[in-house]
Amino acid sequence: MILLNALTVLLLLDDAVGSMVGSSSLSGLDAQGWRAPMDCLRASEMCNQNPQCSSRFRIMRQCLVGRDRTTMLANKECQAALEVLQDSPLYDCRCKRGMKKELQCLQSYWSIHMGLNEGEELYETSPYEPMIFSDEFRLASIISAMYSALSKGNLCSDTGKPCNPCLDAAKACNLNDTCKRQRSAYIATCNRATPIAHTQEPCNRKRCHKALRQFFERVQTEFSYPLLFCSCRDKGCAERRRQTIVPACSFEEKTKPNCLELRRTCRSDPLCRSRLADFHMNCQTTPHSITSCPNDNYHGCLVSYVGLIGLDVTPNYVDSNHTNITISPWCGCRGSGNQEAECEAFLRDFRENVCLRNAIQAFGYGADAGFLPFTESQSAFPSERPNLQPAIITKPVISSNDIKPVDGACVFSTCANLKDGVQKCSPSNSFECADESMLDPNMDGSIDSMGSHQSENNRARQSSASPAGVSAATVLLSITLISQVL
Amino acid sequence: KRTKRAKNGNKACSLQEEEVTISQLGLAYISDETIPFRYCSGRCVASRRNYDLTLASLKRKHVLNRENLKKARHSPCCRPIAYEKEISFLDNESKYHTIYDVSASECACV
Repeated sequence: MILLNALTVLLLLDDAVGSMVGSSSLSGLDAQGWRAPMDCLRASEMCNQNPQCSSRFRIMRQCLVGRDRTTMLANKECQAALEVLQDSPLYDCRCKRGMKKELQCLQSYWSIHMGLNEGEELYETSPYEPMIFSDEFRLASIISAMYSALSKGNLCSDTGKPCNPCLDAAKACNLNDTCKRQRSAYIATCNRATPIAHTQEPCNRKRCHKALRQFFERVQTEFSYPLLFCSCRDKGCAERRRQTIVPACSFEEKTKPNCLELRRTCRSDPLCRSRLADFHMNCQTTPHSITSCPNDNYHGCLVSYVGLIGLDVTPNYVDSNHTNITISPWCGCRGSGNQEAECEAFLRDFRENVCLRNAIQAFGYGADAGFLPFTESQSAFPSERPNLQPAIITKPVISSNDIKPVDGACVFSTCANLKDGVQKCSPSNSFECADESMLDPNMDGSIDSMGSHQSENNRARQSSASPAGVSAATVLLSITLISQVL
Repeated sequence: KRTKRAKNGNKACSLQEEEVTISQLGLAYISDETIPFRYCSGRCVASRRNYDLTLASLKRKHVLNRENLKKARHSPCCRPIAYEKEISFLDNESKYHTIYDVSASECACV
Protein backbone atom coordinates (compact mmCIF):
# COMPACT_ATOMS: atom_id res chain seq x y z
CA MET A 1 0.00 0.00 0.00
CA ILE A 2 2.82 2.31 0.86
CA LEU A 3 4.40 1.31 -2.38
CA LEU A 4 1.27 2.22 -4.28
CA ASN A 5 1.18 5.61 -2.67
CA ALA A 6 4.81 6.08 -3.36
CA LEU A 7 4.23 5.31 -6.99
CA THR A 8 1.48 7.85 -7.25
CA VAL A 9 3.63 10.50 -5.70
CA LEU A 10 6.39 9.40 -7.97
CA LEU A 11 4.43 9.93 -11.12
CA LEU A 12 3.56 13.43 -10.06
CA LEU A 13 7.15 14.01 -9.19
CA ASP A 14 8.34 12.80 -12.57
CA ASP A 15 5.85 15.08 -14.17
CA ALA A 16 7.30 18.00 -12.29
CA VAL A 17 10.77 17.06 -13.42
CA GLY A 18 9.55 16.81 -16.96
CA SER A 19 8.21 20.32 -16.97
CA MET A 20 11.39 21.46 -15.29
CA VAL A 21 13.23 20.44 -18.43
CA GLY A 22 10.91 22.74 -20.26
CA SER A 23 9.47 20.07 -22.47
CA SER A 24 5.78 20.16 -22.92
CA SER A 25 5.84 16.75 -24.54
CA LEU A 26 6.55 15.06 -21.28
CA SER A 27 3.18 16.03 -19.98
CA GLY A 28 1.67 13.01 -21.68
CA LEU A 29 1.61 10.97 -18.52
CA ASP A 30 -1.70 9.21 -18.30
CA ALA A 31 -3.19 6.31 -16.40
CA GLN A 32 -1.26 3.82 -18.52
CA GLY A 33 2.02 5.38 -17.49
CA TRP A 34 4.53 6.90 -19.83
CA ARG A 35 3.45 8.02 -23.26
CA ALA A 36 5.99 8.81 -25.86
CA PRO A 37 5.36 11.83 -28.07
CA MET A 38 4.58 11.04 -31.66
CA ASP A 39 7.46 11.34 -34.07
CA CYS A 40 7.23 14.21 -36.52
CA LEU A 41 7.31 12.02 -39.59
CA ARG A 42 4.19 10.22 -38.47
CA ALA A 43 2.65 13.49 -37.36
CA SER A 44 3.14 15.05 -40.77
CA GLU A 45 1.72 11.90 -42.38
CA MET A 46 -1.34 12.20 -40.19
CA CYS A 47 -1.60 15.86 -41.02
CA ASN A 48 -1.43 15.11 -44.72
CA GLN A 49 -4.43 12.80 -44.42
CA ASN A 50 -6.53 15.65 -43.15
CA PRO A 51 -7.29 18.09 -45.98
CA GLN A 52 -7.47 21.14 -43.75
CA CYS A 53 -4.28 20.35 -41.88
CA SER A 54 -2.34 19.43 -44.99
CA SER A 55 -3.22 22.64 -46.79
CA ARG A 56 -2.19 24.72 -43.76
CA PHE A 57 1.00 22.71 -43.46
CA ARG A 58 1.80 23.47 -47.09
CA ILE A 59 1.14 27.16 -46.60
CA MET A 60 3.31 27.15 -43.49
CA ARG A 61 6.24 25.62 -45.31
CA GLN A 62 5.95 28.21 -48.03
CA CYS A 63 5.80 30.92 -45.42
CA LEU A 64 9.07 29.82 -43.94
CA VAL A 65 11.03 29.76 -47.16
CA GLY A 66 13.55 32.55 -47.04
CA ARG A 67 11.73 34.61 -44.47
CA ASP A 68 12.46 35.46 -40.90
CA ARG A 69 9.89 35.25 -38.21
CA THR A 70 8.69 38.84 -38.13
CA THR A 71 7.99 39.08 -41.85
CA MET A 72 6.31 35.73 -41.71
CA LEU A 73 3.98 36.69 -38.90
CA ALA A 74 3.11 39.91 -40.67
CA ASN A 75 1.46 37.76 -43.29
CA LYS A 76 -2.12 37.01 -42.22
CA GLU A 77 -2.31 33.74 -44.10
CA CYS A 78 0.86 32.48 -42.45
CA GLN A 79 -0.41 33.43 -39.05
CA ALA A 80 -3.71 31.66 -39.61
CA ALA A 81 -1.88 28.54 -40.78
CA LEU A 82 0.27 28.59 -37.67
CA GLU A 83 -2.78 28.84 -35.44
CA VAL A 84 -4.43 25.84 -37.06
CA LEU A 85 -1.28 23.77 -36.87
CA GLN A 86 -0.90 24.40 -33.17
CA ASP A 87 -3.81 22.06 -32.64
CA SER A 88 -2.41 19.35 -34.89
CA PRO A 89 -0.21 16.43 -33.84
CA LEU A 90 2.69 18.32 -35.42
CA TYR A 91 2.73 20.71 -32.54
CA ASP A 92 3.75 18.12 -29.97
CA CYS A 93 5.88 15.83 -32.07
CA ARG A 94 9.49 14.86 -31.45
CA CYS A 95 12.31 13.07 -33.28
CA LYS A 96 14.66 10.34 -32.18
CA ARG A 97 18.41 10.62 -32.32
CA GLY A 98 19.80 8.66 -35.19
CA MET A 99 16.37 7.57 -36.42
CA LYS A 100 15.69 6.70 -40.03
CA LYS A 101 15.01 9.87 -42.02
CA GLU A 102 16.11 11.95 -39.06
CA LEU A 103 16.64 15.01 -41.22
CA GLN A 104 13.14 14.81 -42.68
CA CYS A 105 11.71 14.48 -39.22
CA LEU A 106 13.64 17.51 -38.02
CA GLN A 107 12.50 19.51 -41.01
CA SER A 108 8.90 18.75 -40.14
CA TYR A 109 9.56 19.78 -36.58
CA TRP A 110 11.09 23.11 -37.46
CA SER A 111 8.43 23.89 -40.03
CA ILE A 112 6.14 24.53 -37.09
CA HIS A 113 8.54 25.53 -34.38
CA MET A 114 10.50 28.03 -36.37
CA GLY A 115 7.37 30.13 -36.32
CA LEU A 116 6.68 29.53 -32.64
CA ASN A 117 10.11 30.36 -31.37
CA GLU A 118 11.10 33.84 -30.51
CA GLY A 119 13.43 34.08 -33.44
CA GLU A 120 16.73 35.06 -31.92
CA GLU A 121 16.16 33.69 -28.46
CA LEU A 122 19.07 32.15 -26.61
CA TYR A 123 17.69 28.64 -26.16
CA GLU A 124 15.25 26.67 -28.22
CA THR A 125 13.28 23.58 -27.35
CA SER A 126 15.00 20.40 -28.42
CA PRO A 127 13.16 18.48 -31.13
CA TYR A 128 14.55 15.26 -29.70
CA GLU A 129 12.77 13.01 -27.28
CA PRO A 130 13.89 13.65 -23.76
CA MET A 131 16.35 11.12 -22.46
CA ILE A 132 14.63 9.50 -19.57
CA PHE A 133 16.14 7.78 -16.63
CA SER A 134 16.69 4.43 -18.20
CA ASP A 135 19.56 6.12 -19.96
CA GLU A 136 21.44 5.94 -16.73
CA PHE A 137 21.49 2.23 -17.17
CA ARG A 138 23.23 2.81 -20.42
CA LEU A 139 25.76 5.06 -18.79
CA ALA A 140 26.50 2.39 -16.26
CA SER A 141 26.98 -0.13 -19.01
CA ILE A 142 29.22 2.21 -20.94
CA ILE A 143 31.35 2.81 -17.92
CA SER A 144 31.65 -0.83 -17.12
CA ALA A 145 32.42 -1.63 -20.73
CA MET A 146 34.98 1.10 -20.79
CA TYR A 147 36.72 -0.20 -17.77
CA SER A 148 36.72 -3.75 -18.94
CA ALA A 149 38.03 -2.50 -22.26
CA LEU A 150 40.66 -0.46 -20.52
CA SER A 151 41.67 -3.28 -18.30
CA LYS A 152 42.75 -5.10 -21.41
CA GLY A 153 45.38 -2.46 -21.76
CA ASN A 154 47.59 -1.62 -18.89
CA LEU A 155 45.65 1.12 -17.24
CA CYS A 156 47.36 1.72 -13.99
CA SER A 157 49.13 -1.61 -14.02
CA ASP A 158 52.55 -2.26 -12.62
CA THR A 159 54.37 -2.54 -15.90
CA GLY A 160 56.15 0.75 -15.36
CA LYS A 161 54.53 2.32 -18.40
CA PRO A 162 52.78 5.60 -17.74
CA CYS A 163 49.03 5.39 -17.35
CA ASN A 164 47.39 6.83 -20.47
CA PRO A 165 43.66 6.08 -20.66
CA CYS A 166 43.41 7.81 -24.05
CA LEU A 167 45.98 5.44 -25.47
CA ASP A 168 44.10 2.54 -23.96
CA ALA A 169 40.91 3.82 -25.53
CA ALA A 170 42.64 3.89 -28.92
CA LYS A 171 43.78 0.34 -28.35
CA ALA A 172 40.31 -0.83 -27.39
CA CYS A 173 38.98 0.85 -30.55
CA ASN A 174 41.63 -0.74 -32.76
CA LEU A 175 40.81 -4.16 -31.40
CA ASN A 176 37.18 -3.77 -32.41
CA ASP A 177 36.77 -4.14 -36.15
CA THR A 178 33.96 -1.62 -36.63
CA CYS A 179 35.61 1.00 -34.50
CA LYS A 180 38.98 0.50 -36.16
CA ARG A 181 37.49 0.77 -39.64
CA GLN A 182 35.37 3.83 -38.89
CA ARG A 183 38.17 5.56 -37.02
CA SER A 184 40.65 4.92 -39.79
CA ALA A 185 38.08 6.17 -42.28
CA TYR A 186 37.53 9.53 -40.59
CA ILE A 187 41.20 10.04 -39.83
CA ALA A 188 42.18 9.29 -43.41
CA THR A 189 39.47 11.67 -44.68
CA CYS A 190 40.26 14.47 -42.27
CA ASN A 191 44.01 14.13 -42.64
CA ARG A 192 44.07 14.11 -46.42
CA ALA A 193 45.15 17.35 -48.04
CA THR A 194 42.85 18.45 -50.81
CA PRO A 195 44.80 19.28 -53.92
CA ILE A 196 42.86 22.42 -54.72
CA ALA A 197 45.22 24.58 -56.74
CA HIS A 198 46.82 27.52 -54.94
CA THR A 199 44.59 27.43 -51.89
CA GLN A 200 46.61 24.87 -49.95
CA GLU A 201 43.54 23.69 -48.12
CA PRO A 202 44.60 21.34 -45.34
CA CYS A 203 41.62 19.11 -45.91
CA ASN A 204 38.07 18.80 -47.11
CA ARG A 205 36.21 20.00 -44.04
CA LYS A 206 32.78 18.96 -45.23
CA ARG A 207 33.82 15.39 -45.89
CA CYS A 208 35.73 15.28 -42.64
CA HIS A 209 32.66 16.39 -40.71
CA LYS A 210 30.56 13.79 -42.43
CA ALA A 211 33.03 11.04 -41.61
CA LEU A 212 33.11 12.15 -37.98
CA ARG A 213 29.32 12.11 -37.74
CA GLN A 214 29.34 8.65 -39.24
CA PHE A 215 31.93 7.48 -36.73
CA PHE A 216 29.85 8.59 -33.76
CA GLU A 217 26.65 7.24 -35.28
CA ARG A 218 27.91 3.81 -36.21
CA VAL A 219 30.42 2.93 -33.53
CA GLN A 220 29.21 1.62 -30.21
CA THR A 221 29.51 4.27 -27.56
CA GLU A 222 31.61 2.05 -25.34
CA PHE A 223 34.37 2.42 -27.89
CA SER A 224 33.85 5.94 -29.19
CA TYR A 225 33.19 7.77 -25.91
CA PRO A 226 36.37 6.67 -24.13
CA LEU A 227 38.38 8.14 -27.02
CA LEU A 228 36.74 11.50 -26.49
CA PHE A 229 36.27 11.56 -22.73
CA CYS A 230 39.30 9.70 -21.42
CA SER A 231 40.67 11.09 -18.19
CA CYS A 232 44.20 12.41 -18.32
CA ARG A 233 46.95 12.94 -15.82
CA ASP A 234 49.53 14.37 -18.16
CA LYS A 235 49.87 16.61 -21.15
CA GLY A 236 50.63 13.88 -23.65
CA CYS A 237 47.39 12.15 -22.84
CA ALA A 238 45.39 15.38 -22.94
CA GLU A 239 46.90 16.26 -26.30
CA ARG A 240 45.85 12.88 -27.64
CA ARG A 241 42.34 13.54 -26.33
CA ARG A 242 42.28 16.94 -27.99
CA GLN A 243 43.41 15.36 -31.25
CA THR A 244 40.60 12.80 -31.26
CA ILE A 245 38.43 14.65 -33.76
CA VAL A 246 41.41 15.74 -35.92
CA PRO A 247 40.93 19.39 -34.92
CA ALA A 248 43.28 20.72 -37.59
CA CYS A 249 40.58 19.87 -40.09
CA SER A 250 37.28 19.56 -38.23
CA PHE A 251 37.71 22.35 -35.70
CA GLU A 252 40.25 25.04 -36.43
CA GLU A 253 39.96 27.52 -39.25
CA LYS A 254 42.07 30.41 -40.41
CA THR A 255 39.75 32.94 -38.86
CA LYS A 256 37.61 32.76 -35.76
CA PRO A 257 34.05 33.79 -36.56
CA ASN A 258 31.87 35.57 -34.07
CA CYS A 259 29.91 33.07 -32.01
CA LEU A 260 26.54 34.63 -32.79
CA GLU A 261 27.33 34.48 -36.45
CA LEU A 262 28.27 30.83 -36.02
CA ARG A 263 25.00 30.22 -34.23
CA ARG A 264 23.11 31.84 -37.07
CA THR A 265 24.86 29.58 -39.55
CA CYS A 266 24.01 26.61 -37.38
CA ARG A 267 20.37 27.57 -37.05
CA SER A 268 19.95 27.73 -40.78
CA ASP A 269 20.63 23.99 -40.90
CA PRO A 270 17.88 21.84 -39.35
CA LEU A 271 20.29 19.20 -38.06
CA CYS A 272 22.72 21.64 -36.48
CA ARG A 273 19.88 23.68 -35.04
CA SER A 274 18.33 20.60 -33.46
CA ARG A 275 21.56 19.33 -32.00
CA LEU A 276 22.38 22.73 -30.55
CA ALA A 277 18.97 22.97 -28.95
CA ASP A 278 19.45 19.47 -27.59
CA PHE A 279 22.83 20.39 -26.16
CA HIS A 280 21.39 23.43 -24.44
CA MET A 281 18.62 21.36 -22.99
CA ASN A 282 20.70 18.46 -21.70
CA CYS A 283 23.90 20.23 -20.69
CA GLN A 284 22.47 23.38 -19.18
CA THR A 285 24.13 23.99 -15.83
CA THR A 286 21.38 23.44 -13.29
CA PRO A 287 22.11 24.96 -9.90
CA HIS A 288 19.63 22.85 -7.94
CA SER A 289 20.95 19.45 -8.86
CA ILE A 290 23.81 17.56 -7.29
CA THR A 291 25.64 17.01 -10.52
CA SER A 292 24.73 20.44 -11.99
CA CYS A 293 23.08 18.62 -14.87
CA PRO A 294 19.38 18.56 -15.77
CA ASN A 295 17.86 15.53 -14.01
CA ASP A 296 21.36 14.59 -12.89
CA ASN A 297 21.67 12.90 -16.24
CA TYR A 298 25.34 12.94 -17.20
CA HIS A 299 24.82 10.60 -20.08
CA GLY A 300 22.22 12.84 -21.66
CA CYS A 301 24.68 15.70 -21.63
CA LEU A 302 27.46 13.63 -23.18
CA VAL A 303 25.16 12.31 -25.89
CA SER A 304 24.04 15.76 -26.90
CA TYR A 305 27.63 17.04 -26.75
CA VAL A 306 28.76 14.30 -29.12
CA GLY A 307 25.79 15.17 -31.32
CA LEU A 308 27.42 18.50 -32.11
CA ILE A 309 30.60 16.97 -33.49
CA GLY A 310 30.75 17.18 -37.25
CA LEU A 311 28.47 20.22 -37.47
CA ASP A 312 29.13 23.94 -37.77
CA VAL A 313 29.38 24.30 -34.01
CA THR A 314 31.76 21.36 -33.52
CA PRO A 315 33.13 21.73 -30.00
CA ASN A 316 36.52 20.56 -28.77
CA TYR A 317 39.07 20.88 -26.00
CA VAL A 318 40.78 24.18 -26.57
CA ASP A 319 44.18 23.06 -25.29
CA SER A 320 46.05 20.09 -23.90
CA ASN A 321 45.73 21.18 -20.31
CA HIS A 322 45.10 18.06 -18.27
CA THR A 323 44.09 19.67 -15.00
CA ASN A 324 41.47 22.08 -16.27
CA ILE A 325 39.19 21.12 -19.12
CA THR A 326 38.03 23.94 -21.37
CA ILE A 327 35.63 23.22 -24.18
CA SER A 328 34.62 25.63 -26.91
CA PRO A 329 33.42 25.78 -30.46
CA TRP A 330 35.73 27.60 -32.86
CA CYS A 331 34.44 31.12 -32.32
CA GLY A 332 34.98 34.22 -30.26
CA CYS A 333 33.10 37.30 -29.19
CA ARG A 334 35.07 39.96 -30.99
CA GLY A 335 32.91 42.23 -33.05
CA SER A 336 29.70 41.42 -31.23
CA GLY A 337 28.69 45.06 -30.99
CA ASN A 338 25.70 45.55 -28.73
CA GLN A 339 25.15 41.79 -28.53
CA GLU A 340 28.31 41.15 -26.59
CA ALA A 341 26.45 39.92 -23.51
CA GLU A 342 24.48 37.41 -25.56
CA CYS A 343 27.62 36.23 -27.29
CA GLU A 344 29.40 35.76 -23.98
CA ALA A 345 26.43 33.82 -22.66
CA PHE A 346 26.53 31.52 -25.65
CA LEU A 347 30.23 30.92 -25.24
CA ARG A 348 29.94 30.42 -21.51
CA ASP A 349 27.64 27.46 -22.07
CA PHE A 350 30.66 25.70 -23.51
CA ARG A 351 33.65 27.19 -21.75
CA GLU A 352 32.30 27.42 -18.22
CA ASN A 353 29.70 24.70 -18.24
CA VAL A 354 29.86 22.90 -14.90
CA CYS A 355 27.44 20.21 -15.99
CA LEU A 356 29.43 19.37 -19.09
CA ARG A 357 32.70 19.39 -17.21
CA ASN A 358 31.34 17.17 -14.46
CA ALA A 359 29.87 14.80 -17.00
CA ILE A 360 33.17 14.47 -18.82
CA GLN A 361 35.11 14.03 -15.63
CA ALA A 362 32.65 11.55 -14.25
CA PHE A 363 32.94 9.53 -17.42
CA GLY A 364 36.68 9.25 -17.19
CA TYR A 365 36.74 9.40 -13.41
CA GLY A 366 39.23 12.18 -13.58
CA ALA A 367 41.23 12.86 -10.47
CA ASP A 368 39.63 16.22 -9.85
CA ALA A 369 36.00 15.29 -10.10
CA GLY A 370 34.98 16.86 -6.83
CA PHE A 371 32.25 14.40 -6.06
CA LEU A 372 31.72 10.93 -7.28
CA PRO A 373 28.09 9.97 -7.08
CA PHE A 374 29.01 6.36 -7.73
CA THR A 375 30.99 6.12 -4.54
CA GLU A 376 28.30 7.62 -2.39
CA SER A 377 25.39 5.69 -1.08
CA GLN A 378 21.91 7.13 -1.08
CA SER A 379 21.98 8.09 2.57
CA ALA A 380 24.99 10.30 2.03
CA PHE A 381 22.95 12.84 0.14
CA PRO A 382 21.24 15.61 2.02
CA SER A 383 17.73 14.47 2.70
CA GLU A 384 16.13 17.89 2.48
CA ARG A 385 16.14 17.72 -1.29
CA PRO A 386 13.28 15.39 -2.07
CA ASN A 387 13.03 16.63 -5.63
CA LEU A 388 16.25 15.06 -6.76
CA GLN A 389 16.69 11.56 -7.95
CA PRO A 390 20.22 10.70 -6.99
CA ALA A 391 19.16 7.10 -6.66
CA ILE A 392 19.42 6.64 -10.36
CA ILE A 393 23.15 7.05 -10.36
CA THR A 394 24.04 5.26 -7.22
CA LYS A 395 25.12 1.74 -6.64
CA PRO A 396 21.77 -0.04 -6.73
CA VAL A 397 21.42 0.79 -10.39
CA ILE A 398 24.81 -0.47 -11.24
CA SER A 399 24.35 -3.77 -9.52
CA SER A 400 20.89 -4.13 -10.99
CA ASN A 401 22.53 -3.81 -14.36
CA ASP A 402 24.39 -7.06 -13.85
CA ILE A 403 27.72 -5.45 -13.41
CA LYS A 404 29.88 -7.32 -11.01
CA PRO A 405 30.12 -5.28 -7.84
CA VAL A 406 33.76 -6.28 -7.63
CA ASP A 407 34.37 -4.34 -10.82
CA GLY A 408 32.78 -1.34 -9.27
CA ALA A 409 34.82 -1.66 -6.16
CA CYS A 410 38.02 -1.56 -8.10
CA VAL A 411 37.08 1.13 -10.49
CA PHE A 412 35.38 3.47 -8.15
CA SER A 413 37.21 3.20 -4.93
CA THR A 414 40.70 2.43 -6.13
CA CYS A 415 41.34 4.12 -9.43
CA ALA A 416 38.94 6.97 -9.14
CA ASN A 417 39.98 8.72 -6.02
CA LEU A 418 43.71 8.85 -6.52
CA LYS A 419 44.85 12.35 -6.95
CA ASP A 420 48.54 11.96 -7.52
CA GLY A 421 49.97 11.74 -10.99
CA VAL A 422 51.93 8.57 -10.42
CA GLN A 423 48.89 6.64 -9.47
CA LYS A 424 48.92 2.93 -9.66
CA CYS A 425 45.97 0.69 -9.46
CA SER A 426 47.76 -2.51 -8.80
CA PRO A 427 45.57 -5.33 -9.95
CA SER A 428 46.01 -7.42 -6.88
CA ASN A 429 43.86 -10.48 -6.96
CA SER A 430 41.17 -9.04 -4.75
CA PHE A 431 40.27 -6.66 -7.55
CA GLU A 432 39.36 -7.44 -11.07
CA CYS A 433 41.26 -4.69 -12.79
CA ALA A 434 42.54 -6.95 -15.47
CA ASP A 435 39.67 -9.20 -16.28
CA GLU A 436 41.30 -12.25 -17.75
CA SER A 437 38.33 -13.17 -19.85
CA MET A 438 38.67 -9.85 -21.62
CA LEU A 439 42.32 -10.51 -22.33
CA ASP A 440 41.37 -13.51 -24.36
CA PRO A 441 41.98 -13.11 -28.06
CA ASN A 442 38.55 -14.50 -28.78
CA MET A 443 36.91 -11.86 -26.70
CA ASP A 444 34.54 -10.96 -29.51
CA GLY A 445 31.84 -12.96 -27.81
CA SER A 446 31.89 -10.95 -24.64
CA ILE A 447 32.00 -7.64 -26.46
CA ASP A 448 29.11 -8.74 -28.62
CA SER A 449 27.01 -9.77 -25.70
CA MET A 450 27.69 -6.42 -24.14
CA GLY A 451 26.60 -4.74 -27.32
CA SER A 452 23.37 -6.63 -27.47
CA HIS A 453 22.77 -5.90 -23.86
CA GLN A 454 23.10 -2.27 -24.63
CA SER A 455 20.82 -2.39 -27.58
CA GLU A 456 18.26 -3.96 -25.34
CA ASN A 457 18.52 -0.95 -23.16
CA ASN A 458 18.19 1.17 -26.23
CA ARG A 459 15.04 -0.52 -27.17
CA ALA A 460 13.66 -0.09 -23.73
CA ARG A 461 14.48 3.57 -23.93
CA GLN A 462 13.04 4.14 -27.35
CA SER A 463 9.77 2.50 -26.64
CA SER A 464 9.37 4.60 -23.60
CA ALA A 465 5.72 3.66 -23.48
CA SER A 466 6.67 0.18 -22.36
CA PRO A 467 6.36 -0.19 -18.63
CA ALA A 468 9.64 -2.11 -18.51
CA GLY A 469 11.61 0.95 -19.42
CA VAL A 470 10.15 2.86 -16.55
CA SER A 471 9.66 0.22 -13.97
CA ALA A 472 13.29 -0.15 -12.97
CA ALA A 473 13.69 3.55 -12.40
CA THR A 474 10.31 3.58 -10.75
CA VAL A 475 11.24 0.88 -8.30
CA LEU A 476 14.45 2.65 -7.40
CA LEU A 477 12.75 5.94 -6.98
CA SER A 478 10.04 4.43 -4.88
CA ILE A 479 12.68 2.93 -2.63
CA THR A 480 14.09 6.39 -2.24
CA LEU A 481 10.72 7.79 -1.44
CA ILE A 482 9.83 5.11 1.04
CA SER A 483 13.10 5.53 2.82
CA GLN A 484 12.39 9.20 3.08
CA VAL A 485 8.86 8.69 4.29
CA LEU A 486 9.87 6.27 7.00
CA LYS B 1 56.18 -37.37 -26.56
CA ARG B 2 55.47 -34.71 -29.13
CA THR B 3 57.53 -31.60 -29.32
CA LYS B 4 55.98 -28.17 -29.37
CA ARG B 5 57.11 -27.70 -32.96
CA ALA B 6 55.41 -30.86 -34.14
CA LYS B 7 52.17 -29.73 -32.53
CA ASN B 8 52.26 -26.35 -34.24
CA GLY B 9 53.33 -27.94 -37.47
CA ASN B 10 49.99 -29.64 -37.86
CA LYS B 11 48.01 -26.45 -38.05
CA ALA B 12 46.68 -25.63 -41.49
CA CYS B 13 47.30 -22.26 -43.06
CA SER B 14 45.14 -19.68 -41.26
CA LEU B 15 44.91 -16.12 -40.06
CA GLN B 16 46.73 -15.38 -36.80
CA GLU B 17 46.57 -12.28 -34.68
CA GLU B 18 49.08 -10.56 -32.46
CA GLU B 19 48.71 -7.23 -30.67
CA VAL B 20 51.65 -5.00 -31.51
CA THR B 21 52.41 -1.32 -31.15
CA ILE B 22 52.89 0.83 -34.22
CA SER B 23 56.54 1.30 -33.29
CA GLN B 24 57.07 -2.44 -33.39
CA LEU B 25 55.91 -2.62 -37.01
CA GLY B 26 59.34 -1.45 -38.10
CA LEU B 27 57.95 1.06 -40.57
CA ALA B 28 59.77 3.94 -38.88
CA TYR B 29 56.61 5.34 -37.29
CA ILE B 30 56.85 6.09 -33.60
CA SER B 31 53.58 5.58 -31.81
CA ASP B 32 52.52 3.70 -28.72
CA GLU B 33 49.14 2.92 -30.18
CA THR B 34 48.34 -0.78 -30.29
CA ILE B 35 46.83 -2.48 -33.31
CA PRO B 36 45.99 -6.09 -34.02
CA PHE B 37 48.50 -7.36 -36.55
CA ARG B 38 47.07 -10.24 -38.54
CA TYR B 39 49.30 -12.60 -40.48
CA CYS B 40 49.13 -15.96 -42.20
CA SER B 41 50.71 -19.04 -40.78
CA GLY B 42 50.29 -22.80 -41.05
CA ARG B 43 51.03 -25.79 -43.20
CA CYS B 44 50.04 -26.19 -46.81
CA VAL B 45 50.74 -29.89 -47.30
CA ALA B 46 47.13 -30.72 -48.03
CA SER B 47 46.95 -28.39 -50.97
CA ARG B 48 49.91 -29.80 -52.83
CA ARG B 49 49.18 -30.51 -56.49
CA ASN B 50 50.82 -32.88 -58.91
CA TYR B 51 52.93 -29.91 -59.93
CA ASP B 52 54.50 -29.78 -56.49
CA LEU B 53 55.15 -33.52 -56.33
CA THR B 54 56.70 -33.50 -59.80
CA LEU B 55 58.86 -30.53 -59.05
CA ALA B 56 60.09 -32.10 -55.84
CA SER B 57 60.93 -35.28 -57.64
CA LEU B 58 62.75 -33.49 -60.44
CA LYS B 59 64.72 -31.51 -57.92
CA ARG B 60 65.78 -34.67 -56.16
CA LYS B 61 66.93 -36.21 -59.42
CA HIS B 62 68.79 -33.06 -60.48
CA VAL B 63 66.96 -33.02 -63.77
CA LEU B 64 66.37 -29.29 -63.83
CA ASN B 65 68.89 -26.58 -64.50
CA ARG B 66 70.88 -26.02 -61.35
CA GLU B 67 70.34 -22.30 -61.15
CA ASN B 68 66.58 -22.54 -61.56
CA LEU B 69 66.35 -25.54 -59.33
CA LYS B 70 67.36 -23.72 -56.21
CA LYS B 71 64.70 -21.09 -56.55
CA ALA B 72 61.82 -23.33 -57.56
CA ARG B 73 59.43 -23.97 -54.67
CA HIS B 74 57.87 -27.40 -54.55
CA SER B 75 55.35 -26.67 -51.81
CA PRO B 76 52.58 -24.08 -51.64
CA CYS B 77 53.11 -21.05 -49.40
CA CYS B 78 50.73 -19.78 -46.79
CA ARG B 79 50.27 -16.17 -47.88
CA PRO B 80 47.69 -13.38 -47.54
CA ILE B 81 45.33 -13.09 -50.48
CA ALA B 82 43.64 -9.96 -49.10
CA TYR B 83 44.78 -7.17 -46.85
CA GLU B 84 43.07 -4.76 -44.51
CA LYS B 85 42.75 -1.59 -46.51
CA GLU B 86 43.94 1.05 -44.10
CA ILE B 87 44.81 1.70 -40.53
CA SER B 88 45.11 5.19 -39.09
CA PHE B 89 46.85 6.18 -35.91
CA LEU B 90 48.20 9.14 -34.00
CA ASP B 91 51.95 9.12 -33.57
CA ASN B 92 53.80 10.30 -30.48
CA GLU B 93 54.29 13.70 -32.06
CA SER B 94 50.50 14.14 -32.35
CA LYS B 95 50.44 13.67 -36.09
CA TYR B 96 48.03 11.37 -37.82
CA HIS B 97 49.15 8.77 -40.34
CA THR B 98 47.35 6.25 -42.46
CA ILE B 99 49.15 3.15 -43.65
CA TYR B 100 47.86 0.63 -46.14
CA ASP B 101 48.06 -3.14 -46.57
CA VAL B 102 49.77 -3.69 -43.26
CA SER B 103 47.64 -6.47 -41.91
CA ALA B 104 46.32 -9.58 -43.64
CA SER B 105 42.61 -10.24 -43.78
CA GLU B 106 42.47 -13.58 -45.65
CA CYS B 107 44.96 -16.40 -46.10
CA ALA B 108 45.44 -19.19 -48.62
CA CYS B 109 47.99 -21.72 -49.78
CA VAL B 110 49.23 -20.32 -53.06
